[in-house]
Amino acid sequence: MHWFSRLFGGARRVVELPPAQRDALAHWQQLPATDLNAAHQRCRYVVVDVETSGLNMRTDRLISIGAVALVDGRIDFADAFQIILRQDQVSPDANILIHGIGGSAQSEGIDPATALLSFLGYIGKAPLVAYHAFFDRAMIEKAMRQYLGVELGQTWIDLAWVLPSLFPDLSDARTNLDDWLALFAIENILRHNAVSDAYATAKLLQVAIAAGNQRAVVSPAAFVRLEKARRWMSQHR
Amino acid sequence: MSNSATAMLVSATIEFLRAYPPFDRMEHEALQFLGEQVRLAYYPKGAQIVSPDAGAVELFRILQRGKVVVRHASEVSVIDQASLTLGPGECFSIGAVMAQRASTSCYTALDDVFCYEITAESFFALLQKSAVLNLFCTQYLASLLGQSRRQLQMQFSQHVAEQQTMNSPLSAVIKKAALSVTPRTPIRKVVELMAASSVGSMIIVDERQQPVGIFTQSDVLKRIVLTGVGLDDPIEQVMSKRPHTLPISANAYDAALAMAMHGVRHVLAVDDGGRLQGVVSERDLFTLQRVGLRQIRQTLDGATGIDMLLQASADVRQLSLNLLAQGVGAEQITQFISALNDALTRRIIALNLEHHDLYGIEWAWLSFGSEGRDEQTFSTDQDNGIIYICTDIMDREQTQLRLLEFARDVNDDLDQCGFPLCTGKIMASNPELCLTLEEWEEKFEHWVRTPEPQALLNATIFFDFRPLYGAFNLADRLRLSLLRRTRGNPLFLRMLAGNALCVAPPLGTFRDFVTDADAQHPGTIDLKKYGARLFIDAARVFAMAHDVAATNTVQRIKQSALLMAISADEAAAVIDGFNFIQLLRLRHQHAEQTQGRDGDNLIRPDELNEVERRILKESFRQARKLQQRLKLDYQL
Repeated sequence: MHWFSRLFGGARRVVELPPAQRDALAHWQQLPATDLNAAHQRCRYVVVDVETSGLNMRTDRLISIGAVALVDGRIDFADAFQIILRQDQVSPDANILIHGIGGSAQSEGIDPATALLSFLGYIGKAPLVAYHAFFDRAMIEKAMRQYLGVELGQTWIDLAWVLPSLFPDLSDARTNLDDWLALFAIENILRHNAVSDAYATAKLLQVAIAAGNQRAVVSPAAFVRLEKARRWMSQHR
Repeated sequence: MSNSATAMLVSATIEFLRAYPPFDRMEHEALQFLGEQVRLAYYPKGAQIVSPDAGAVELFRILQRGKVVVRHASEVSVIDQASLTLGPGECFSIGAVMAQRASTSCYTALDDVFCYEITAESFFALLQKSAVLNLFCTQYLASLLGQSRRQLQMQFSQHVAEQQTMNSPLSAVIKKAALSVTPRTPIRKVVELMAASSVGSMIIVDERQQPVGIFTQSDVLKRIVLTGVGLDDPIEQVMSKRPHTLPISANAYDAALAMAMHGVRHVLAVDDGGRLQGVVSERDLFTLQRVGLRQIRQTLDGATGIDMLLQASADVRQLSLNLLAQGVGAEQITQFISALNDALTRRIIALNLEHHDLYGIEWAWLSFGSEGRDEQTFSTDQDNGIIYICTDIMDREQTQLRLLEFARDVNDDLDQCGFPLCTGKIMASNPELCLTLEEWEEKFEHWVRTPEPQALLNATIFFDFRPLYGAFNLADRLRLSLLRRTRGNPLFLRMLAGNALCVAPPLGTFRDFVTDADAQHPGTIDLKKYGARLFIDAARVFAMAHDVAATNTVQRIKQSALLMAISADEAAAVIDGFNFIQLLRLRHQHAEQTQGRDGDNLIRPDELNEVERRILKESFRQARKLQQRLKLDYQL
């Protein structure tokens, strides 16, 4: 069966959900789309960070999601999210040392389908933001397919592309999150904690929004366009 | 919300706040509440976070990262002195959020700034929960009083600097355009022009308006009359060539230096193109010199006639303004004005004694009202009287006549020196107020025994008497007998207290201030009637009830507070309130007089800034506190 689905790549995996979860999923799917052209100050962004069993997007598993919302330009602590997905198989010790989510925490986590549904309930249809978003996106979308049988289809904004466009003078050799955080003197409470990383990234998003507002990059849609243009530029250099 | 992510962010916030006062001492629950309520905002370098024109400040902010510079809105151009920098852990803007008004200052991000923000509503909830924060904010507001005084100082030093210091640019010193002629103009024409416009100097300029010479009044004698030059010859033959010039941007000090170095009396100010802009004379610079206290005292004490005293009385006003500028408080200034006015009055009395023979009479000059209390402001009229001793009843009439004649001259001289005759005839030249010790005692006793409205009104003026000249012991004896009578008369004190309560502080139930008490001047508050007098009247009752001989309101409050079990802090707060109102009155009167109006006491609360309004409100609350004490003491 495995070879079959891979052969007809993209074929939807069918997941049987209990009625309550099916309803919750349907409810989320029916939420109205967010107006991505609204000004930053009238938007809700959700800044996401994931912890995984490793860096291999195909074989490694999603362990935890941390998220912090930026509402009307401000980070609202009450609007924050963290969940640990229950793992059938605890990740290796070396990995645990990175994110600090121990074996028992992993196996006592929440049932993955429930966890992901509550994540969907939390994010709604808000645009998602991360640094090196391709990784967070891949891990979350993979888990969504696996446990809920659903394509996420959310708008993602990657600060790793947006920031260099907004600060071209500062972007030399700055390729990781820590460099940008150091540049703007943003402190990370607890590195490799999903919430802490998301919080620090959210501050970086505030910086990006302020810089964007000065350059007519005033909405989530404008961030997306900026990111596309930069990707195109780097491919055609 | 039992959310592990929120819990973590909140506890990180609390941990941050704990490093800074007042949060380090804040109650645990209040801190938890604060951590849950804040949101984090970011302001890029240069962004304006709070400004006066942005309306009421609805967010209370605590800096997390970066620096914020605070500038007083009125001093945008003066950067160094007026600004203040806030760093992490500091909060703003307490005054504006508490009053839910616009801020008086601009808060600008000095670098990239992250700050915690809570809504005014949450802030008030937090104040309820935290006694620590409450105290912190109260103390902060109290310190605004000092701030306001500094602000006043700044305002006045600017005023003084403009008018007075040697730092003034020449453009400010030059009062009128200079007269100029071309080099070929006949001497006769020049001298005629100078006489017609009564100026001491004429500048000779070339076709580009650049000065090439100067001709002054003193040159007429030396270079024309004595040398016999023809009056139809051109002026260039007799002018002083290459006159001394300074750029118009130079200051008065530069001009004084040039005059001293080159022994000249005129310096020409020119623009960048070397064109004539004006003439500065030695005399212009003299008027810039400050009036000093010593000088005034010397003028006063050495005055041999009314003319010199006239000048001195003008100097008293000028010096009071300087003191205001130097940040001397209202209490000292009003005392100082009184002291110099005392000196002036004494000198006038001494000068008149030369023409009036009062030999053999034991007498003293008394002052009443504000002068009696050492609380004179810039606008003040005469309130005075005479007390004397007459051993032989047969001489009484004759003695009074001699004193009255003398008093009339003194009153007239005082009038000339800027103390208008009292419209209510409270003057020593009034036979009713030129009395023997026994007569004064009788008069006072009558008022104390039958405290009808007029008697109470008289008490508020005459009981604040103070001797100014002559036999001071007469006044002391009068004071003793007065206190003896009032102390043993609770009915009188109760009536006097009732009189003091006639006017309530103009604090509104809904608005801050009641500004329509006077139908003829809507939008204003009479700070004498509805401000200073509330304190003065209450202090008088306290003093009389507790045998305090002082007449000065601040002294009365201080001394009676000790006897009434009022704490020093409480008394200090009352005095601060009184002094603040006096300071506003002084400032207002000065502004009025600068514009050539009679100084009244009608201030418009709308024209005060945020800090001043808050303090004025607090001052009125202090007056209300005094009145409540009176009500309590006398069951009114």
